[in-house]
Amino acid sequence: MEKIQVEICMGTTCFIMGGESLQELATLLQRKYPDKVDTKGIVCHGLCNTDCQYSKAPYVKVDGEAISEATVEKVLAVIERKLDNNEQ
Amino acid sequence: MFIDINCTQEKKYNQNAFGDYFVSKRRPGRLIAVLSDGLGSGIKANILSCMTATMLLRFIEAQRNIKAACEIILNSLPVCKVRQISYSTFSAIDCTDDGDVKIVEEGNPQFIWMKKNGEIIEPECKIINSKTFSNRHMRTYHIKLELGDRLIFCSDGVTQAGLGGDNLKLGLRRKGLIDVIKKKMKHQPDISSRELSKYIVEYAKYIDNKHAKDDISACVVHFTKVRRLCVFTGPPYHNEKDSEYANIFAEFDGKKAICGGTTANLISRELNREIISESPFNTGKLPACSSMEGVDLITEGILTLSKTYEYLKDEESIDEINAAVRLMNLLLDNDYILFMVGAQLNQAHYDPNLPIEIEIRKNVIKKLKKVLEEKYTKRVEIQYM
Repeated sequence: MEKIQVEICMGTTCFIMGGESLQELATLLQRKYPDKVDTKGIVCHGLCNTDCQYSKAPYVKVDGEAISEATVEKVLAVIERKLDNNEQ
Repeated sequence: MFIDINCTQEKKYNQNAFGDYFVSKRRPGRLIAVLSDGLGSGIKANILSCMTATMLLRFIEAQRNIKAACEIILNSLPVCKVRQISYSTFSAIDCTDDGDVKIVEEGNPQFIWMKKNGEIIEPECKIINSKTFSNRHMRTYHIKLELGDRLIFCSDGVTQAGLGGDNLKLGLRRKGLIDVIKKKMKHQPDISSRELSKYIVEYAKYIDNKHAKDDISACVVHFTKVRRLCVFTGPPYHNEKDSEYANIFAEFDGKKAICGGTTANLISRELNREIISESPFNTGKLPACSSMEGVDLITEGILTLSKTYEYLKDEESIDEINAAVRLMNLLLDNDYILFMVGAQLNQAHYDPNLPIEIEIRKNVIKKLKKVLEEKYTKRVEIQYM
């Protein structure tokens, strides 16, 4: 089974809107799902700029799907849902 | 040729001010520097050496003649009433980009001239006696340097390090210092002035059991090929210029850094080179770095640049190894720096909901230019697109 790809935005806006605490997510995922999830940083998804009037940074992408106002819990929930679906 | 100059200093143990003072100034085609050692230590020494060094620097700059400027100071430096010796000692350096160097020393240890192959040259000097003080004189030198040559200046805190200890009864002395430098150069022949001066000071402190017995300063002057770095930050104002911007980046001859996610994406797209993210773990208080073929460093933009400025202003504030420290090291290990600043504004940075105020890119770059030129004597150019 292919690993779930998690991409954390390292751009300025995302970082100060909460991306800093998403480093925790990277550590957590590596510990919890070392064989199922791949986590990496991305220089900038560019999402804050396309939607800047209602900016919902920070953004994290899980298998290409953007999660806005991402928190550790929110991203973890999406990953767990995906893992459940994969198992079924 | 480029003159890579750097001075590292250490305070005497238990003092809260530096008793040695170093100043330097770069003028087109010319560099002037003064290292002064104030009598005693602490605040008094700091004031004396600061006065001597800054006055001398201005004199040399204004007179265009180092010998005359130094003579004025030589004849006018007051004498300490208690010790009956002059207030402060100094080494003054005036060099041009083509290697013509004039040096004047008063009281400081004699400088070391080291060729690229490690050979030491002892140049002839002319001694000038003071007209007003019979026990005071200065040594003047006029030498011609070649590519790869180094000059090492220090305060007596270096040559007298270890004095009275078990191993070095008479201290490190000039001869000992030469051996230390030669050994280091064998392992790192291309060591930068910054690293070498740091090494000398650390070494002197180490042989004093990590408690410096005197103020320690080491200044290294290296005649080198110009080491060039470009820092690209921000996308161009007009999108049509993207490919031109990326081409300038590709064709730059030297080291390359990108500061900013959008900029990295733009260059990646235009040059068709993949961005490889480094691990997002343990990056400290700043976003992680990335890499790309032919690029030395990729960082986030404005936060990293602002932090780099803070570190450059006050190196002691560095508390972790993060993207800004890596950018700082890259800046300091190069002599000519080109900042290519894309003028497009990032709308998202003006969102009033952002928890902190984001600096304007142009302002941060201007501040970086100022500190790099004034404190680190780099040659800096800014271009906007």
